[in-house]
Amino acid sequence: MNLFESIRMAIHSIFIHKLRSFLTLLSVAIGVFAIMGSGSLVSSFDETVETEMANLGENSFKISRTPSVQTGRDSWRKYRRRERIDFKQYSKLKDKIEDLAFVSVESNQSNMIIKYSEFETDPDVTLQGTNEVYFNINDRDVPIGRSITEADVEFDRNVAVIGNDVYNKLFNGINPIGKNIKIGNQKFEVIGVLDEKGAILGKSQDNQVIIPITRFNKYYSNWWESLDISVKAFNKESFPYVLDETIGALRTLRSDQPGDDNSFEIETNESITQQFSGLTGYLTYFGLLAGFFALAAAGVGITNIMLVAIKERTREIGLRKALGARRFWITMQFLVETMTITLIGGLIGISLGFIMSSVISYFLGLKVSIPMDWIIISISITTVLGLISGLYPAFRAASLDPIDALRYE
Amino acid sequence: MSKPIIDIRNISKVYQMGSQLVHALRDITVSINQNEYVALMGPSGSGKSTLMNILGCLDTPSSGTYFFNNTNVRELNDNELAEIRNREIGFVFQTFNLLPRASALKNIELPLVYSGVKKYDRIEKAEAALKSVGLEDRMEHKPNELSGGQRQRVAIARALVTSPSIILADEPTGNLDSKTGEDIMRLFQNLWESGNTIILVTHEEEIALHAKRIIRLRDGLIESDELNHNQVNFN
Repeated sequence: MNLFESIRMAIHSIFIHKLRSFLTLLSVAIGVFAIMGSGSLVSSFDETVETEMANLGENSFKISRTPSVQTGRDSWRKYRRRERIDFKQYSKLKDKIEDLAFVSVESNQSNMIIKYSEFETDPDVTLQGTNEVYFNINDRDVPIGRSITEADVEFDRNVAVIGNDVYNKLFNGINPIGKNIKIGNQKFEVIGVLDEKGAILGKSQDNQVIIPITRFNKYYSNWWESLDISVKAFNKESFPYVLDETIGALRTLRSDQPGDDNSFEIETNESITQQFSGLTGYLTYFGLLAGFFALAAAGVGITNIMLVAIKERTREIGLRKALGARRFWITMQFLVETMTITLIGGLIGISLGFIMSSVISYFLGLKVSIPMDWIIISISITTVLGLISGLYPAFRAASLDPIDALRYE
Repeated sequence: MSKPIIDIRNISKVYQMGSQLVHALRDITVSINQNEYVALMGPSGSGKSTLMNILGCLDTPSSGTYFFNNTNVRELNDNELAEIRNREIGFVFQTFNLLPRASALKNIELPLVYSGVKKYDRIEKAEAALKSVGLEDRMEHKPNELSGGQRQRVAIARALVTSPSIILADEPTGNLDSKTGEDIMRLFQNLWESGNTIILVTHEEEIALHAKRIIRLRDGLIESDELNHNQVNFN
């Protein structure tokens, strides 16, 4: 008698007791579904954040008034008193660290309409004011035309670099360079077209127009709006120094008192990823908790069902013992039976969980990947569950007295 | 005279029933040789079932010695008892005790599965056993597709398949009509004539008369143990 025989017998018996097996299977599948579904959804989310959101590039960090991910109820209260980051602070900071790093500035207005002759876009274009190093820091190319120059910013020129979506909507194959577009009442000359980037978290990175920050501030910004600053050190060695200098300079510029926290946020790739994992941690935690409760209930159910099954099959067990089945093999038979059912349930749960998370990921524009770690975790949990809930019934079966068992009606 | 397969000396079996001690067997001594055909008779409560369980190594005596093929059964543990049942004893039950969802062939294979015989050999042996009870055309039939007599034949084939030292049949005709019962008894006679050792447990005088030797039990004691001169012979 070998393990293969046990598995064969177990599968045979599962097919005989279809309804019972199905119900057991279902309870396990639900628990595993919760764990696997939330786990793999979080995995896709984290991976997306890591590969796409945290795209600051090496040696870079970002300065803003408030963090990009906010959790907890008190955060609004905590940040609302912070003074905005204005153009003057940016200019002074730039003067201070220009010899060590690229410094860019950014400000946005979303839901803008862009017009060219009789064509116009939907009111969903993001207008971005920035400077000449933005393209370098954010790793964006301008394959057609040219990007914004220092002079464009300095002389407050009405020039614009347009994203691919805007280009397709307004120009549809015509050369846009030198053409005039209208943003609000202002006229801009198109000087370049951005490379195509696709979407992050369902939001297109190509539906935008970039103009010099000086012009942006004049016509599209409200006085209370804060700017974002990005800094990229020239090399790895100087990164810590640049970071220190920046923090020091900004604290002075914003009159932060010694002992007080910074009145601004510094974010690196690492810190952005961390902030997101704080957020996704809740989801993982909740999924695991729900899954564990469901599986604990399933475990009790399985033990109960197996005890009933053993009661029903008392004579069969007596017969097997009379025919020479050792204790070990009776134990194995029922243990393998329990584990086979739970594993099949687990595999169904894994598949459903993965399908669900993939569908949600797809609609959220997240990366869909096969989360091997969660598959392994789910299979391990299921195996342990089958073992724990099957052990006691299997021992009970193996320790039946063959004489009593054969006589059982 | 050949060496006995079963050599029981002064065995007793005592059960605790509540506060009372029940003496199911008192100081029994029996020996059974190879190729004997023995009927074990007695009314209910005579200790017949207890003796059968001990003979079948399903139970061990409280005192005395039981040598099965020179092995002292009293000293064996659970697993060793299972092994001796598997290799040396072929059980035939009143209620057949076949696995209801398994084919005749699979039922017969079962003891071979537990003794670790390889699949190919298993099928070959099971087919031969089924043939020896005249059911070679019923291999893939499930028990509920077979008549009572056929089921008992499958059970007998299962008992034979390991080539055991003894065949232990507990009221094998109890659930069959008399015509079918007679067929089964004829089969036992054939098995005996071809060299098997058969122990038949019954309370029916008619059935016991098929055996060569009849042991009668009463109140846990052997009442009589004599050769049957009126053996029913089918030939």
